[in-house]
Amino acid sequence: MSLSMEKYDDFIEALEIIDDEDMRFEYIIDVGKRAKKEEFPTEWQVDGNLMHGCMSRVWIVDEPKDGRHYFRGDSDAIIVKGLVTMMTESFSGLTSEELSELNVEQVHRLNLGALTTQRQVGMLAMLEHLKKLGRKNAS
Amino acid sequence: MSGVSKLNPTAAGDNSTAAFDVERVRRDFPILSQEVYGKPLVFLDSGASAQKPRVVIDAVRECYETYYANVHRGAHYLSQRSTDAFEEARTTVAKFINAATEDEVIFTSSVTESINLVAATWGRKFLNEGDEVIVTEMEHHANIVPWQMLAQEKGIVLKIVPITDKGEFRIEDFEPLVSDRTKLVAVTECSNVLGTMVPAKQVIKLAHEKGVPVLLDGAQGIVHRGVDVQDLDVDFYAFTGHKLYGPSGVGVLYGKWDILNSMPPYQGGGDMIERVSFKGTTFKEPPHRFEAGTPPIAQVIGLGAAIKYLSELGMDRISAYEQGLVAYATERLKCIEGLKLYGEAADKAAIFSFVVDGTHPFDIAAILDRAGVAVRVGQHCAEPLMDRFGIEGTVRASFGLYNTRGDVDALVAAIEKAKGMLT
Repeated sequence: MSLSMEKYDDFIEALEIIDDEDMRFEYIIDVGKRAKKEEFPTEWQVDGNLMHGCMSRVWIVDEPKDGRHYFRGDSDAIIVKGLVTMMTESFSGLTSEELSELNVEQVHRLNLGALTTQRQVGMLAMLEHLKKLGRKNAS
Repeated sequence: MSGVSKLNPTAAGDNSTAAFDVERVRRDFPILSQEVYGKPLVFLDSGASAQKPRVVIDAVRECYETYYANVHRGAHYLSQRSTDAFEEARTTVAKFINAATEDEVIFTSSVTESINLVAATWGRKFLNEGDEVIVTEMEHHANIVPWQMLAQEKGIVLKIVPITDKGEFRIEDFEPLVSDRTKLVAVTECSNVLGTMVPAKQVIKLAHEKGVPVLLDGAQGIVHRGVDVQDLDVDFYAFTGHKLYGPSGVGVLYGKWDILNSMPPYQGGGDMIERVSFKGTTFKEPPHRFEAGTPPIAQVIGLGAAIKYLSELGMDRISAYEQGLVAYATERLKCIEGLKLYGEAADKAAIFSFVVDGTHPFDIAAILDRAGVAVRVGQHCAEPLMDRFGIEGTVRASFGLYNTRGDVDALVAAIEKAKGMLT
């Protein structure tokens, strides 16, 4: 796939440079902390935006513009906030069709599986959630 | 009552003179010697499910390798050996809890099933609209939902014993709830979140004075203290194998024989009938009346091995050792700035729930995991208790007989590290 996903490539590069698993964990926490500084409006923290099945609460909002999807996400847990942010920033700006082409490979390339399988499963669920929002807001 | 043998009451807890050698005990649990993420495993999630000593693993393997067959019905050598081992495990359980007879021990799949069995049989038969069942604010969902289902079906009413801010169960909060309408007291013996021990003997005495039977959810209680059902005079006692260092998939319901014998069957099927015809079916006596279908054979045998292991160590010694850990862990955890401990009852088992200011329990647990410290996070199947404290969840560190002061130190160090990373 030749999608242009600059942020996604940045994340992959950053995670590749860090060879210590604990440091990679800290990197994700830092992504979460940085994202926390940008306000995610409390009125968006509603059940309608909740992604179900997570151990912590995760909200994801899609703001489509000119046929492209721009996601923002939040979580009450900072590590999950970091992971959500990596996903929403990576895959914002894509069309519904481009979103539908994303697959497990995109998550595997982030190589977070070593951190724990649970994180990886969570990331896949987030990807599916973004694709679902992309389909829902396609019109 | 037929075919009943009186058991020698050698309940858990002789062998109390020798010192408890935790390092020797740890060597009995093969899983504990490993590293996770390159760090020594510190397993503090025994409240969810405990690890298994080698004797349990060996007993299950030996069953499958040498004598496994279906029980109670085979006309061959292996079936007889399996049946003998299966029924011997029932006797082992009966002795461990000091039941009057092994016929008072029903094998189920879990505590959840044990309580559902009581609700679906005794509850359906004896409870009617307006009858009251008393539970506490700190019940596991397994001891709430079956009664709520019965409330929807038959219009019974649940009465809730409040707990204090320190997570204490006070007899003065319980006593006023017992009324002429009370038909059952169904309470936990030990909170799976707070570690709070309920003064079960007092509760039972008070309930019995008003003619009310008592069910104890012993899922956590039996693990930390053992139980003597005759001394307690409890009517029903539910516990599970996998928290008691035995296999998963097997639970126990103890019930006084006369009460069990008054109850209709739970599930219908093979092994629980005397005679089946299309004109009608007659049922066996307890416990077999409540054990329809093929039981968890190897798991029951494994549970028997776990109980023998615990009996050899002595539940009194295990309990005394764990109380030392409770005191040490309480002292260490309370020194962590910003840590709020839930559950500070004077009599508590080695279960510690906490949150840390400015952090989410999930984040703390994730960093603990990376440090090799296995804990549970979330609501612990006790949402009403979370509502009581106005929290979304906690981190829970639950200790078993194989944990050490070093494990407490590792937990504290990991919490401090997590605090540093997250705040």
